[in-house]
Amino acid sequence: MIIRKKYLFYVLAITSSIIAAAVTGIDSFVGAQSAFVNDPWAFAFSIFFVGSIVTLLITLILSVQIRGESLGAKILDPSFKKLRIIQKSELKFHLIAGFMNAINTVGYCAIVSTIRDPSVILSFSQIVILYLLLMESITEKDVPTLVEIQSSVIVTFGAILASISLTGEFDLSSILIVFIIINPTWAIFSIYQRKLKIMRINNKPNDSINIRVWNVIFSCVFTSILLFVFDIFTGGGHLVAGFTTSISLYYFLLVAIVMSTTFFAYVLYIRSLGMGKASVNNAIRASTIIFAIPFSIILLQLGVIEQFSTDPVMLVIKVIGITMIVLGIISFALTVVKAYIFINVKPGYPLDETMKKLWGIRGVTHVTATAGKYDFIVKISTRTLMKGYEKTVRKIEEIDAIKKYKWESVLRDWENI
Amino acid sequence: MISAYILITIQPGKTDKAIKEMRKIENLAKISIIAGEYDIVVRAQVKNLEELLGVTDKLQMIEGVTKTTTQIIEKEISLQ
Repeated sequence: MIIRKKYLFYVLAITSSIIAAAVTGIDSFVGAQSAFVNDPWAFAFSIFFVGSIVTLLITLILSVQIRGESLGAKILDPSFKKLRIIQKSELKFHLIAGFMNAINTVGYCAIVSTIRDPSVILSFSQIVILYLLLMESITEKDVPTLVEIQSSVIVTFGAILASISLTGEFDLSSILIVFIIINPTWAIFSIYQRKLKIMRINNKPNDSINIRVWNVIFSCVFTSILLFVFDIFTGGGHLVAGFTTSISLYYFLLVAIVMSTTFFAYVLYIRSLGMGKASVNNAIRASTIIFAIPFSIILLQLGVIEQFSTDPVMLVIKVIGITMIVLGIISFALTVVKAYIFINVKPGYPLDETMKKLWGIRGVTHVTATAGKYDFIVKISTRTLMKGYEKTVRKIEEIDAIKKYKWESVLRDWENI
Repeated sequence: MISAYILITIQPGKTDKAIKEMRKIENLAKISIIAGEYDIVVRAQVKNLEELLGVTDKLQMIEGVTKTTTQIIEKEISLQ
């Protein structure tokens, strides 16, 4: 199927949000089981322990070859070949992402175990979008445009309004956990997942399925270590409780449903991370709050969750929040400028070196050395033409090897998915 | 697998119809309408040069296509 290229990124991110909303629904049912309500730490361990087994099994199924192409490549990520061992160059990124995911989950459990209504506190985790904007400015040397800042702020506050609950207490220590532990760890986790997706493995794009598998495995290892240390200092038995619960068939199947659904949400999220900034991805991911509504209604009808508030003030606040999220996402979607640059080079300069210099320029998404009328075809993506000029054209002009270039703006594009 | 960019020039007013025809061609991974010397850039992914010839042939048969310039990709670095 060929769809507008501009929409592929949004299709991936929004599909991931829809699946994540379904996970939230299933999660609230599974988390409400007696074994997990009494011990959220055991739930954290169970998620990653059962998750590792389920994720490995799904990946093995997706590795099945059909007419020279893996099942995973056909339905999820065209870059996926088969389950593989990670390479040395990926290890550092996996260790950081896994560690951050484990701390994030433990932080989440700390809140869930102490606060009666965690939604009051966890809505502040939406501010992670602003953390990401700040981090990207530092790590990717990419100063956000005014449109990106405006849209991110609109989505962030929209998400807070849409997800905030008027019931429940307001606990300062939990707010601190969100701001000091949950938000920074999620931001770093997202940035490192993106770094892994952008990496090239054996000169081919890295695939989101293997990234997810190894992230769950590393998260499981780090969660076990964190719980082990926590148990030693508090004299608790959360790790053992988590393991015992996980090997019970009933709980194993429940968590397996959560983690197999989560797998698909994350694979699409990681794939979209490879196509756009982590901040923009997380802004779109805030739409999970909107998609969670129909799932909540279904769970309410099934009697899985209790009646939620229908206070008119509450509903107005939520509608304002949802409107802000939608407006923010549309604003992101409508402000992307793409262009092809056709380049001819002077003789006497090594092509590999020029290619690396071109790849080092901000906003460049593809560099191809070609045989024909042009020596290089470069594709760029930027928020504004002015930024495209400042960040790309001026940098291209600085490369000695370049004889002449032609900028051709993309008006509309489609991609085969 | 061989990848190539094919730069296409189209007669004025025939772009939409040409795009509709191009979207039916199997080996085209990307199609972009651009502003400048060329009107459309497509990215073809084929098994061999003979298949590439087949794709360019199909493109040239589309009404409104006046010129195609093929750039075979020798090396690539990309985000996806």
